[in-house]
Amino acid sequence: MESLGQFEQVVLTAILALDDNAYGVTIHAKVEELSHPKKIARGAVYATLDRMEDKALISSWLSEPTRERGGRSRRHYRLEKSGEKALKESARTAQRLIETITQSLGGLAWKPR
Amino acid sequence: MEAALNGPPEWLERVVLLAIPPAAHEAVAGDLWETYQNPGQYAVEALQTVPFVVWSQIRRNLNLPALILQSALIFLCFGGPVTLMALPLLMLREAYRPVTRPSPRRAIREAILLSSGAMVLLLVSMSLHSPVRAGVDSFTWLSLFLAALFLSPFLCLFRAGLIMQGDHSQPLVAGSLPKDALAGAYQNFQQRAFCSNLLESMALVFAAACGFFFAWDALLVGLFVIVALCLMLDSVPRFSQACDFTSLRARYQQELARQGQLRRFLHWLWFAPVLVALHDRLTLGESIAALLNCVAAAILCFLVMALNREYGGRVQEQIGLLDRMRETSPPDRALP
Repeated sequence: MESLGQFEQVVLTAILALDDNAYGVTIHAKVEELSHPKKIARGAVYATLDRMEDKALISSWLSEPTRERGGRSRRHYRLEKSGEKALKESARTAQRLIETITQSLGGLAWKPR
Repeated sequence: MEAALNGPPEWLERVVLLAIPPAAHEAVAGDLWETYQNPGQYAVEALQTVPFVVWSQIRRNLNLPALILQSALIFLCFGGPVTLMALPLLMLREAYRPVTRPSPRRAIREAILLSSGAMVLLLVSMSLHSPVRAGVDSFTWLSLFLAALFLSPFLCLFRAGLIMQGDHSQPLVAGSLPKDALAGAYQNFQQRAFCSNLLESMALVFAAACGFFFAWDALLVGLFVIVALCLMLDSVPRFSQACDFTSLRARYQQELARQGQLRRFLHWLWFAPVLVALHDRLTLGESIAALLNCVAAAILCFLVMALNREYGGRVQEQIGLLDRMRETSPPDRALP
């Protein structure tokens, strides 16, 4: 199965959360929200979307052109089955990490020494 | 999301559009417009975004076998430094590959430009007291010049013919379709690709056998055989209907792009032996033959690029059509 990088996990989660409204602008906004306080370049999001589309984790299509985009279409994205599977696997790994950290440090609200 | 009522200044948008690779125009330029606040913010946003998009398009469109073959041919003809300079340009060309077929006007302009270049090359060689001129009489020069002059209509006809042939070939899919119809179109495409790859692999084996018989370069013969084997192994159709319309469309687009890349490489491969032969004759040292070989090589490259431009444009158009395709419900069956 395809293993995901951290940024790919964030982008896939953003697409999952946005559902039918997942396109460049909204995905970037959601990714920034999820990665807070880190600033994310929109170009990095496009490059990751392209890469994940080539891996068949997501698929895309163009909407009808709209006036607020200067007569251009939106490229909408959607998770594919393989993308969902990879994201679930990443979530399970993250869950195990959280459990281990919580056990070792007594919660996530720890401060580094 | 707040809709931007005012867009960027026209001149600024044109500059940004020039920098964005054509395949990403719609999505990236639209997103930049949607988040437009003022010209400064727009320019900064574009500057931050475009390099990523260009790099992504280079990675996506990079046809490594074709790039290696082109680099090897350039290296053979012009040496290492020119190859090193040409490599980034070739890669950038991949990123900025057009997404439509060439217009007849542009095709004719390119053909005229090439034949004019050939004429200028001949004129310069005639007027200079170069070693190329030695031993060639005026009648031969005049014949060469006239041949270059007639090259223009020939090349224009060739390119116009390619475009007309493309116009006549029906698009594989268009408009809105039910899922079953899309699946059918995809299956037809795969079967056609399978047949054409099988035929081409057999032709490559035959060409390799001829090459072996006529003492071609061993590397070229080996390359033909390897490519033929890869094509035979690759041409097993893979088809699955167990997915929805959007996934099926994505698979179809990926397969179209893959076959397009393969075809571009094969076009270059078929002409590689001729270009190598021309280069071999170039090093023999006969002045007039050298000049003619240069012109012939330039024309050959032009023909291969024209073929690739036409075929690649058709593939990109097809991918664009699929991008905008909507699913319709299947027509109701007539009640008995």
